[in-house]
Amino acid sequence: MSSSTKGQPQAELAATPAERRLVWLATVTMWVGGAGLALLLLGIPAVLVVGGVLPYERLLEGFLSPATRTILVTSMALGGVAILAGFTRFRRMPTKGSRERAIAGAVLGIQALAVALIVLAFQNLGEPDPFFRNFLNFEVLQGYGSTFLRAVMNTVILAFAGEAGGVILGLVLAVLLLSKRRVVRAPARAYVNFFRGTPLIWQLSIFYFGFSFGLGIQFSAFTAAIIVFILNTGAYAAEVFRAGIQSIERGQLEAARSLGMSYSQAMMNAIIPQAVTRVIPPLMNEFVILIKDTSLVVVLGLFAENYELYTWAREGYSSSANASFFVAAAAGYLAVTLPLIGAVNAVERRLRSGLVGVTAK
Amino acid sequence: MTQPVARLEGIHKWFGENHVLKGIDLEVHPQEVLVIVGPSGSGKSTLLRTLNLLEEPSEGRVWFGDTELTDVRTNLNEVRTHMGIVFQAFNLFPHKTALQNITMALRKVLKLSEEEALARAREELRHVGLGEKADAYPGRLSGGQQQRVAIARALAMRPRVMLFDEVTSALDPELIQEVLDVMQRLAEEGMTMVVVTHEMGFAREVGSRLIFLDEGVIVEEGKPRQVFANPTSERTRKFLGRVLVM
Repeated sequence: MSSSTKGQPQAELAATPAERRLVWLATVTMWVGGAGLALLLLGIPAVLVVGGVLPYERLLEGFLSPATRTILVTSMALGGVAILAGFTRFRRMPTKGSRERAIAGAVLGIQALAVALIVLAFQNLGEPDPFFRNFLNFEVLQGYGSTFLRAVMNTVILAFAGEAGGVILGLVLAVLLLSKRRVVRAPARAYVNFFRGTPLIWQLSIFYFGFSFGLGIQFSAFTAAIIVFILNTGAYAAEVFRAGIQSIERGQLEAARSLGMSYSQAMMNAIIPQAVTRVIPPLMNEFVILIKDTSLVVVLGLFAENYELYTWAREGYSSSANASFFVAAAAGYLAVTLPLIGAVNAVERRLRSGLVGVTAK
Repeated sequence: MTQPVARLEGIHKWFGENHVLKGIDLEVHPQEVLVIVGPSGSGKSTLLRTLNLLEEPSEGRVWFGDTELTDVRTNLNEVRTHMGIVFQAFNLFPHKTALQNITMALRKVLKLSEEEALARAREELRHVGLGEKADAYPGRLSGGQQQRVAIARALAMRPRVMLFDEVTSALDPELIQEVLDVMQRLAEEGMTMVVVTHEMGFAREVGSRLIFLDEGVIVEEGKPRQVFANPTSERTRKFLGRVLVM
């Protein structure tokens, strides 16, 4: 048949009954592997939620129940079947699509098997009770709803203020870093190197305690944190902008200058607008990092109304001796960062495809 | 004789160890089309870019009319508004439309009003035959169209001299002629032009004076037809023998 396949669409390759059976098998393999994994990822949380989340004993009961056990065993069986079917048959698959489905089924099967084994081990060899009591004991969070929301807000405020101020500072520093005059470059370089070369937690402490005790300038820990985040982000953003500006072709500056624009006019109108679109993804990545770094203000001793997520969790932990607060904090961080990470990836994809269309002919 | 538009006096240029220009004296006269030819690496582009000081000479003086550009006290930005330059790589601003590419300097440098700038930009786009492409971004234009926008952008400043730096070298062969046609029309309108080019046909038909540059030295100078017909130096003869397959 190979002699007659040249130039034929792939669907027609699976022409014989045996080949059609293989294609069908590949599809089934993929669904079996997928079902094994889906059953675990959706089924176990469903059993837990239906059984009740509060108090944690109900959750634990659900986790140790026959239903969960059945799900685990079923998933492992489905995963095993998919692995066997996929790996033994994928080489014989007559079309590219069926081959890929067979492999996908086997990989999903491995994932289902692995997850099920870990859960099973935890269920039988581990200590589910103390784990559930300390980490998934959401009863202790009751009454903390409004402080949690405020902590999320404060985290966002700290990160957003730091990023906004830092971007402006960074743009100014980047222009200084790119000066042809060493006397202009040197102090900017020293600043950037210092803030990139010392730990943020050290900067927070020195700034807050140093200024208030050393100089007698009083400000709240929250204000101090915002200022330090601006100073620190400025240093990182400066390097991002510098690289972005340097990535603009030399001819752009020459074209602007040859039209009689001054260096700063050329920068403002021709170079920086192009650089800004290029640096949006790295700046957004910096922002995600800053959101997580806001947790470092825990060393400053904030007032209760200024608690950000991490401080909130630690205070909750020390008053209740229960780590479920940290689990809640993780949910808070992810609620803010995951959409941002998704946005960065979307912007990057668009810039990658868009820029090619704009700059190249 | 009338005063030259631009003048180079004893220009030397080193790039590190590389001695690119070795004592160039040159005058650009009003309304002439001065064509600079020579093998690659001979210093043609560097010479042209020295005229508006995009390239700073290591030695020697550059004049524009009565103004010495190599004097640090000279306001280069002001002088450059009188000298248009068009580059091999077009160098249009990709984030601006064809029209905005032209109005930017009109607004920011010449401080024209919005209406004046727009009117002048549209006029120059029509001048290069691209009136209908005003709102297109450079990425949507062909190389030849981009280069014509670049010419319009330079012309909109109403320069006294236009410099062309191998403006057709980055173009697909079928797009070269449309750019050369625009340049020829400019020459016929009496624009003073300095043209670095590999287009020998254009040099011969449109050029009023030709300079042959080799290894940083002006080897030969004269009317293009004369030089092409009877090159006096051996180096010119060899170069023309290689490029003139006509």
